[in-house]
Amino acid sequence: MIEITEKDFSLDEMVRMAKRDDAGAIVTFLGTVRDDGIRSMELEAYSDVARMELESIADEAKSRFNLKSVNIVHRVGRLDVGDNIVAIVVSAAHRDEAFMGCRHIIEELKAKALIWKKEIGSSGEHWVGHE
Amino acid sequence: MMVKVKAFASFREILGREQEIDMRPGSTVSDLLLDLARTNRRFKDAAFDDSGRLKDYVLLMKNTKRIDPLQDLTVELTDGDEVAVFPPVAGG
Repeated sequence: MIEITEKDFSLDEMVRMAKRDDAGAIVTFLGTVRDDGIRSMELEAYSDVARMELESIADEAKSRFNLKSVNIVHRVGRLDVGDNIVAIVVSAAHRDEAFMGCRHIIEELKAKALIWKKEIGSSGEHWVGHE
Repeated sequence: MMVKVKAFASFREILGREQEIDMRPGSTVSDLLLDLARTNRRFKDAAFDDSGRLKDYVLLMKNTKRIDPLQDLTVELTDGDEVAVFPPVAGG
């Protein structure tokens, strides 16, 4: 499951989906909105292209780290401090592959996926990572 | 010919999410950007430096494929092409 959505997600459900008889390790990454003096955050995506990129990142990670499954959900829209932003759940036969695969996917997602965020605080708002 | 322009993040706030622009046949990606800059002063200031060079943080796609701003700005557009304009990504 690769999804870009305004809706919140259930990490428990994603873990249930990742369970397989041949997987002995499931690693999850959950990214949430951190209070850096902000009130909320607005996330935006070039959805069709971002979904294709996430599928490509997932496929590459599956093959490189021998993952049994990869599920990624990234939210868009207005999010408040503490809200879920992104979840990555991977399963593998062993923990080393699962940890490395999950770490690889979040780093690739942050570097490549066409998703942007604007931090909104009491003193104003700004897009993260550029002018 | 009609070319669709999609803009994201800070460029969406300047250009709007999506617009169709009527370009002369044979126009290039560079022509499109200059056309946008001529009609939108905020875009010109955001996308081009004082010497008229495209700023590094302006990223582009044509029909969902990345455009190298050093090589591909002279690529000709065709009717129905979709060009996306956006800043560096910051997901996760």
